[in-house]
Amino acid sequence: MSPITLILIAMGLGLAGWLSGRAKAWSFQSSDPALRSASRPVYHAWYVALWVVIPVLAFITIWSVLAPQLVMQSVLASPAAAQLPAFGFERDAFIGEARAVAQDTAPAVFNVEAEALVAPFREAISRYKIIGIIVTVLIALACGGLAFLRLRPDFRARTRVERTVMMILLLASLVAILTTLGIFGSLVFETVRFFGIVSPADFLFGTFWGPDTMASPEATDPSRYGAVPLFWGTIFIGAVIAMIVAIPLGLMSAIYLTQYAHPRVRSWVKPLLEILAGVPTVVYGYFAALTLAPMIRDAAVAIGITSASTESALAAGIVMGVMIIPFVSSMADDSMAAVPSAMRDGSLAMGATKSETIRKVLFPAALPGIVAGIMLAVSRAIGETMIVVMAASPAANLTANPLEPMSTVTVQIVKLLTGEQSTDHPATLSAFALGFVLFMVTLALNFIALRVVKRFREAYE
Amino acid sequence: MTVIHPNMTDESAKIRARDVSVFYGDNKAIDAVSIDISPNYVTAFIGPSGCGKSTFLRCFNRMNDTIGTARVTGLIELDGEDIHADRMDVVQLRARVGMVFQKPNPFPKSIYENIAYGPKIHGFAEKKADLDVVVERSLTRAGLWDEVKDRLDDSGTALSGGQQQRLCIARAIAVDPEVILMDEPASALDPIATAKIEELIDELSGRYAIVIVTHSMQQAARVSQRTAFFHLGKMVEYGPTSDIFTNPIEERTKDYITGRYG
Repeated sequence: MSPITLILIAMGLGLAGWLSGRAKAWSFQSSDPALRSASRPVYHAWYVALWVVIPVLAFITIWSVLAPQLVMQSVLASPAAAQLPAFGFERDAFIGEARAVAQDTAPAVFNVEAEALVAPFREAISRYKIIGIIVTVLIALACGGLAFLRLRPDFRARTRVERTVMMILLLASLVAILTTLGIFGSLVFETVRFFGIVSPADFLFGTFWGPDTMASPEATDPSRYGAVPLFWGTIFIGAVIAMIVAIPLGLMSAIYLTQYAHPRVRSWVKPLLEILAGVPTVVYGYFAALTLAPMIRDAAVAIGITSASTESALAAGIVMGVMIIPFVSSMADDSMAAVPSAMRDGSLAMGATKSETIRKVLFPAALPGIVAGIMLAVSRAIGETMIVVMAASPAANLTANPLEPMSTVTVQIVKLLTGEQSTDHPATLSAFALGFVLFMVTLALNFIALRVVKRFREAYE
Repeated sequence: MTVIHPNMTDESAKIRARDVSVFYGDNKAIDAVSIDISPNYVTAFIGPSGCGKSTFLRCFNRMNDTIGTARVTGLIELDGEDIHADRMDVVQLRARVGMVFQKPNPFPKSIYENIAYGPKIHGFAEKKADLDVVVERSLTRAGLWDEVKDRLDDSGTALSGGQQQRLCIARAIAVDPEVILMDEPASALDPIATAKIEELIDELSGRYAIVIVTHSMQQAARVSQRTAFFHLGKMVEYGPTSDIFTNPIEERTKDYITGRYG
């Protein structure tokens, strides 16, 4: 029973509906202006086709869930099923084997006991397959027929088709919005569960992070869930070290590209810079972990700092900063391009040099947009996972020394949710609380930044 | 064919242009224009849109340099010095030849900072007390002091359009230029603001050589003493404003003045 067959059938029926709708609409085309039909034939055709395809697709969706259950029911009702063990692993294995053979995905049964079930499975599958096809065709004929009967010269097929198209587009955008809401909802739900075990005050202000995944959930020690070292590590790596790298380099490259570069140079350099944004973060991650981190450690040891670690915050932060450069640069580029050229001409006409004009007029005028760009960059950096998973430390550490290992919120989430973990354990739930905090912070940063950018745009329009 | 009225070539000319042509890529926007600009008068450039009068004006402070595709040929002298010569510093040239644009373009800074901008970058005034003097003097000359003296810290962009344009004029005279170029300075303003700008031009003439590009023939007649008529990249006629408007020699000038085209 493959849905693909049904979808092909739906397409075919839709095409038939389209052709018949158009044929009927042609029949009442008239040269007399008084009798001109309200819509062109193609809209009548689409009207019928949509009435065929949409109900059929809805049925297929439901049927693809329903059919396997119906098959199972009828197999279990067969006399052969009475021989099966009552429940448990064996029973499931036999049923699975029989189904695989019946669907021709396995050559033969391994357990002899399953053999008896193959025939009932085959029979049930083919029965429901036929039922599915028949119902599909019936629905298509009924809906398409009704739509076909409604076609008249004064029928406003165009309006209906346009409205349907609008509804489909609306549905598509709702899916994205609802998914976001769903993610947010599940995050809140799990976070509330976590805060039932560890109080928000302990979580937000505690300075020791060391969830004990082995401890029993009843004996949770809230003092092991202080997230401050993680927040600090996240901010230090993502918002301090990365930005120390990304802001100057990003801004200076934007200034060069917008103000100094010859158009031909710009057309080469800008795409090259943007390639940086396309490098998979896991590649940055191993560059940080395997190349940069040992170099930094060796350099630090060479000048006498023996405590330097190969999992230093510095390595992760620098590589993250490089990753963010194109982001800062393109935002700065856009906001400087948005400053009216009259401003630049005014300054040049005063006898200001190019760099004076940039420093004193263009840059201040573009500043709100640049700041917003940096906020967006920070929100990306602190949500970035792969680089820090590979290059930062899994152990939380509250220190201001960039050569020491540090962990971030995202690293802990990955650590807590990978592997086999009980979903009720506070250690697992704490990952959701961390995710929730991260989500709220990046949401706030994005929200503020987008508002600033919007107001900035309005100021020059 | 250019008609130049008698006594228009001037030994004491502030700006002297000879055979100046301007190209945008392969397009010739200005074709071999020669003109003397007197320091004592307001000179108006008139002509229909696209005739090249603004392009020609922008040659005098080398603003065409900022357009990548533009190329200027011919000789332009300021007080007998070739402005394209190697020893002519474009920064100093623009300090001597100020410019006011069609659309008011105050910087997004305070009124005070807008005026102080030029003196600061050229190092004319460093100390606050000196700057205060320059700001007050420039705003007074631009007829804006009484309107803004209590809110010098407000943003220049918060002023009305006419005030913004007078702020731009004050900004231009703050560096004490010898010439002020005005590129349709009143075309974005209402009639009352326009009248104030024209009044101001009248007051400033004599102290500065002023060259104004305008669409409005009435404006040219009101504010200028010399008028040059441009058409299709060529200067058609140049003479005393009264002669150009009452007694033009060229047929095309007459047609334009009487509103037959343009």
